[in-house]
Amino acid sequence: MPLKYAYHPGNAAHSGSPEVSDTMEAVARNLGLELTYLDGATSCGAGIIKQANHRLQIALNARTFAMAEAHGLNIITPCAATAGNLKQDLEKLRSDPILLKEINDVLAKTCGMHFSGETDVHHLLHVIVEEIGLDKIEKLAVNKFDFRVAGYYSPYIQMEGVCGDDSVNDPNYFEQLIDALGGVPINWEGRVLSVGAPGIFSEEPTVLRQSAAVISEAKEEGAEIIVSACNLSHSIMDIYQGKASRATGISTNMPVIHLTELLSFAFGNHNTRFAQLRTRIAVIGD
Amino acid sequence: MSEESVSATEGIEEFLSSGDRSLELLFGSQSGNAEGLAAKFAKTAKSYGLEGTVHDMDGFDFNSLSSKKRVIIVCSTWGEGEQPDNAEELWKFANSDAASRLEGVHFAVCALGDTSYELFCESGKEWDSIFEKLGATRIVERIDCDVDYDSPASEWALKALPALAAVDSSGNFMEEMVDGITDYASGSSAVAGGEDGFVVPTIETEAIQVELSVFRFDPSTNSTGRDSWACSLPGHISILSALRAIKEGHDGSLSFRDGNDDDPSTAVSVNGKLVLPGRVRVDSIVSSRDESLILRIDPIPGSDVIRDLIVDHWALERKRESTRPWMVAATREGIQTPQGVIGSMEQSTALRIHSLANFDSAPLLHSSSDAVPYANGFLGPAVLASAWARRNDPRTAPERVAEIDSIIGSENGIRAETDLSPIFRRDGYPKSVSEGLLEARTKAIENDAFNGKLGKHVWWYCWTVKSSGKVNDTVLYRQVLGPIGLLGNLFSGVTARMMLGFTRTGGNVLNSLLGMVVPPAGVGKMPRQFNSSVSNHHEVVAIFNEMDGRF
Repeated sequence: MPLKYAYHPGNAAHSGSPEVSDTMEAVARNLGLELTYLDGATSCGAGIIKQANHRLQIALNARTFAMAEAHGLNIITPCAATAGNLKQDLEKLRSDPILLKEINDVLAKTCGMHFSGETDVHHLLHVIVEEIGLDKIEKLAVNKFDFRVAGYYSPYIQMEGVCGDDSVNDPNYFEQLIDALGGVPINWEGRVLSVGAPGIFSEEPTVLRQSAAVISEAKEEGAEIIVSACNLSHSIMDIYQGKASRATGISTNMPVIHLTELLSFAFGNHNTRFAQLRTRIAVIGD
Repeated sequence: MSEESVSATEGIEEFLSSGDRSLELLFGSQSGNAEGLAAKFAKTAKSYGLEGTVHDMDGFDFNSLSSKKRVIIVCSTWGEGEQPDNAEELWKFANSDAASRLEGVHFAVCALGDTSYELFCESGKEWDSIFEKLGATRIVERIDCDVDYDSPASEWALKALPALAAVDSSGNFMEEMVDGITDYASGSSAVAGGEDGFVVPTIETEAIQVELSVFRFDPSTNSTGRDSWACSLPGHISILSALRAIKEGHDGSLSFRDGNDDDPSTAVSVNGKLVLPGRVRVDSIVSSRDESLILRIDPIPGSDVIRDLIVDHWALERKRESTRPWMVAATREGIQTPQGVIGSMEQSTALRIHSLANFDSAPLLHSSSDAVPYANGFLGPAVLASAWARRNDPRTAPERVAEIDSIIGSENGIRAETDLSPIFRRDGYPKSVSEGLLEARTKAIENDAFNGKLGKHVWWYCWTVKSSGKVNDTVLYRQVLGPIGLLGNLFSGVTARMMLGFTRTGGNVLNSLLGMVVPPAGVGKMPRQFNSSVSNHHEVVAIFNEMDGRF
């Protein structure tokens, strides 16, 4: 029986991170995930909309939940920021019947929808470890990802109720997955620290220092590549890598890919890209 | 329990429940620390059969003390040995000829100060002296507390309160009762084991084999590293007890802040979790790796390490001080009560104010922000949460509210936080604290009319989501960074990395034909110029219109 989920790709996958969408499709086929695309789903707010009006963000996300619920499905996303934001708003609705009623009144008035609180939200990483199983992953891994890999969780999925049965502060699902794919997992503190993605426009100097610290720690611990479970953090660590290095004087040369790319390459998809990545790993770094 | 001990217990209970059991606690406070301590002592005093009443020195009738039996003075020192503002008048009166004699009064003084000032705890010393001069009896020696006052003050109270409790209603000090009262209050006299009571058992667990790995820093050589010990520890003991055991039995040079279980200054990181080590059992936080159990203990992030696990809280204290955290009260109507005219507050308001700053350890909350170690001037979540609570307190004067708004909205205020998620994800304090910080950020953005980079980021994010249902990064870059910022990104390589995807893999060279028309948007991994709208986009617009017409 295929595992069926409603799919939310995250905020950046439609635009600046197309590689996440590309590889997620292939990975879903390999894993036997049956994804229902929520064409009407909005941005999760990325923690930004709630800075203007938290109830507005909750209402937008409640609409997304209602769409998934109408399909009788839970939501899956490969983006940690999306998983964290959706899950936090979901828990707020579930724990506050008055808020749920008020938001449902808005949904009824604006969209003719209703959300009863049944839908749940999962990050891809947790579905893999808890639903699919690492033994199946080992069997699917036709290309050994034989590098020293630093798995980056981000803080967004490392909170109570969002990280499945993994530890909030000292997780190891990612390390187990890397091991199952033939890689050598790096143990590092930075894996759950924020690289400041929501602050990149307003507090760039601090964000550059944060991201430089996270990347350089992975390097110091011997990693050859960082794999991110978060689309937004992934972009920051990649796009701003050179600027962060110049701003801090810290060496930050390091390939950064997304979790869905790691899985796709290991499962034998996108072989050209994997070959390019191997070359990059060989030439990038000290 | 033996008949003898039952009888002794009954004797203490009778002593502690008969006659005048009042305790007057006077505070002289500039920043609220002394007031907080006095309130804490008053609460603890109940365990000793005392009915504590906390008095602000400002407006207090000094001569009313002459008829009292027990008095505690908690007083801070301001500037160069000066009395705090609220104690000035009382201090002058106490030194005047009009001051009554205080024979029959038993007193104790807890002085707060700062050793970096020449006249350390001077105000407390002065109160100690004047009470003695006026004939009062010092029941325990005065304590002079430095900036980290909580732990020593609490220890001092464990001596002062039973001694004061041993003063009978006639004002006689029954010294032989002190030990019994101490045992009674701590519960070790087994008073719960009476006919209808029960003895609370100590829950013990078997020893577990743990690898205890502790961060070390030696300031004399400026060297860092880790020491590990393979230990057999009872699972029920606290992390603090485990550290004590290591220090006593293995390495006397191991340095950490010791104190009561709830001492806020003792905060450390254990397996990545920020905790007060006296409150956390070993078996509740141990991490399992490669079939071994690990306790990895580090200093909390965001503060300079002095030695091993000891961090410097001074910078945090300075930040707190810079916000002038003391109350500047508004003039407001009171209500008439048998005790006189007092202010009142709706229960819901009182609960809200309490919940906004309901954290036990400022250092722990401060270190929960991942931005704190990288943003030097940033006041941090602990200072800002306290400021936000004060700002929402209806007792605060309107002009002070405006000042606090200005502090919270400043460049070192809430806008300096790059990401609130790390504060939300920690569990060492209630969610109301992190939600309060989000409210403070919203207020700061609104006060700034969505100007500045943060305001523009939030505004245009909302605007683009309303426009298509999706975020449009191109609009954000253009509207928030402006032409200078975009040029900066062009020359710093950011734009090139966006187009090439650099270390990211794959993706079309052109995301859409728009890249041909209005480059660089849409080229490589540059975000698109325009987003396609989500299905039923009108519903998204309707939600925005219904809930927030600003966008």
